[in-house]
Amino acid sequence: MRLLVVEDDPDLRRQLVSALVDAGYAVDAAKDGEEGHFLGDTEPYDAVVLDLGLPIIDGVSVLEKWRRADRKMPVLILTARDRWSDKVAGFDAGADDYVAKPFHMEEVLARIRALLRRAAGHASSELSVGPVVLDTKSSRVSVDGMPVKLTSLEFRLLSYLMHHKGKVVSRTELVEHLYDQDFDRDSNTVEVFVGRLRKKLGVDVLHTIRGMGYTVTEPDNAA
Amino acid sequence: MRPSSLSSRLILSSLVVSVVLLAATGLLLASLFTTALERNFDQRLRSVLDGLLANIEVTAEGAPRLASAIVDPRFALPLSGWYWQVVPMDKATGVADLASGSLLEQRLAVPPAFAGKPGVQAFYLKDKLGVTLRAIEQVFTLPGSTRAYSVLVAGNYDELSAEVRSFNRALIASLVLLALGLALAVFVQVRFGLRPLRAMQANLLAIRQGEAEQLKGAYPAELIPVAEELNLLIQSNAEIVERARTQVGNLAHALKTPLSVLTNEAAGQESQLAAKMTEQAGLMRDQVSLYLDRARRAARARGLGAVTEVKPVLDALARTLERINRDKGLAVTVDCAEGLKFRGERQDLEEMVGNLMDNACKWAATRVAVSARPAPAAAGRGLLMVAVDDDGPGLAPEMRDAALRRGERLDETKPGSGLGLAIVRETAAMYNGGVQLERADLGGLRAALLLPSAI
Repeated sequence: MRLLVVEDDPDLRRQLVSALVDAGYAVDAAKDGEEGHFLGDTEPYDAVVLDLGLPIIDGVSVLEKWRRADRKMPVLILTARDRWSDKVAGFDAGADDYVAKPFHMEEVLARIRALLRRAAGHASSELSVGPVVLDTKSSRVSVDGMPVKLTSLEFRLLSYLMHHKGKVVSRTELVEHLYDQDFDRDSNTVEVFVGRLRKKLGVDVLHTIRGMGYTVTEPDNAA
Repeated sequence: MRPSSLSSRLILSSLVVSVVLLAATGLLLASLFTTALERNFDQRLRSVLDGLLANIEVTAEGAPRLASAIVDPRFALPLSGWYWQVVPMDKATGVADLASGSLLEQRLAVPPAFAGKPGVQAFYLKDKLGVTLRAIEQVFTLPGSTRAYSVLVAGNYDELSAEVRSFNRALIASLVLLALGLALAVFVQVRFGLRPLRAMQANLLAIRQGEAEQLKGAYPAELIPVAEELNLLIQSNAEIVERARTQVGNLAHALKTPLSVLTNEAAGQESQLAAKMTEQAGLMRDQVSLYLDRARRAARARGLGAVTEVKPVLDALARTLERINRDKGLAVTVDCAEGLKFRGERQDLEEMVGNLMDNACKWAATRVAVSARPAPAAAGRGLLMVAVDDDGPGLAPEMRDAALRRGERLDETKPGSGLGLAIVRETAAMYNGGVQLERADLGGLRAALLLPSAI
């Protein structure tokens, strides 16, 4: 899962990024509306945290531009202005949820989880495929109730695939959602992570579809 | 009337001027009249004197006598105040003299200052009865005689004085009447002339009470610059207040980001410092909300003329709340009478109804229904009622009052500052409206908001 944080205050930006990275997301950050708009317009984010009071282009305009260009990723707006007219303007511009400043980081994390879940069409904060359970709240994975220790990249990979359970995800798409933009990408490493994940999970849920990509499905009863 | 008032200055100054001018006019008229009367009197005496001179002749014995009688009967009436006498200058010789019948046996004496002077002399005398006389005298040598005679004619000056007095009385009476008329005219003039000032004062009062935004209406040419300056002053004052209010708002909003940073920085640590920071950041957050709330309230004191269409506000809020509560799958319906208007600021309506709807959404099971209707007018004011119903658990009647109090949170598990309903109540009160909690037809709670409406 790859997120974009657009916030002009450097301290708050750092806190948001580090909290989101700790929660297992790949995170890009932008410091103003222009950069934020560009990133959101060109990179495939799973969700965006957008401050409304931004330099150069304000948050509402950034959001409107994205929606006009048919960018549909869920957007959580952060705003110091918490009057109803501000909320109405934000939602009318295409926001999916809002958090009023000053906020607690847990609140932002919870809202992001809910947005991602909703975008993927899940109701619960726990995603499961057969015996594999991924708790989006605690960023933990277990198989048959036994915790499995994963690196953050392995977790992101599994999380993305499980959010899109039953769909075939191409290698390129995976790479785009696993790494933040500064990462030196190498699509061959995906193969390596998938192999390691299979080994760690020990159950047959992660499949390679030759020439197309990867998918998670319920394990065959036969297997 | 205070001495410093403009109208008393005008009235007082014009009264002083009129009194001085009228008094001067009176004195001048009186003296002109007296002079004219005296001149006329002297002319009458002079013609009698001329008549005497032409009529007197000297008898063979050397005594003067009248060739024909003087016709005026006043000279015959004893002590009438009208006299004439012809007296020889040289009294010692015992030469006979001649006098009008009115003088009887007495003779009038020429005051020493005028005696023996050549030409016609005019002076005042008193007769035996104390009547003031005006007299003219000329020393004359009669034809047929070498003796010089003093020929004197006197008239009753008191009759003249009486005439002057009655003229003066009439003059004073008419001048006083004129002064009173002038005073009345000045008073009316000042009232009429200063009326635009009173209108301006009434307008300023209306502005101060928030019923108007600036001075309107047609002012006289002299007041137009004043009205314009006042309008500019009012405008700049409003701008200063607005700027200060915006600054307070900006400051409060700007503080929210650093507060988020502090709160989150502290949340990651378990030191005493972090605990203190969390606590203090919480206090600061409360202060920020308090002052933002006050700034908004102060902003409301103005703009009483604002009118807000109700339906678009309700629709926008319903749309937004449906999105916020998308996961719960709530249906938020709006049933609003067309053309319903709220007499007040859009933002206030949004805050009140938004908070009520937000609260309803937190408790509702499946739906929230908002309806707005004109309510029966009270005390000549049009009213409207916005009812927000939910199908949640509702609230026991004894809990409803507490729910409207500031800082009261009935359920700590639901998010919120506990200020929502109190803000609704206080804002509604500012508009002389109110909010009531009742049982909703849907089964849950109904919040009924009563507000002034506009046609």
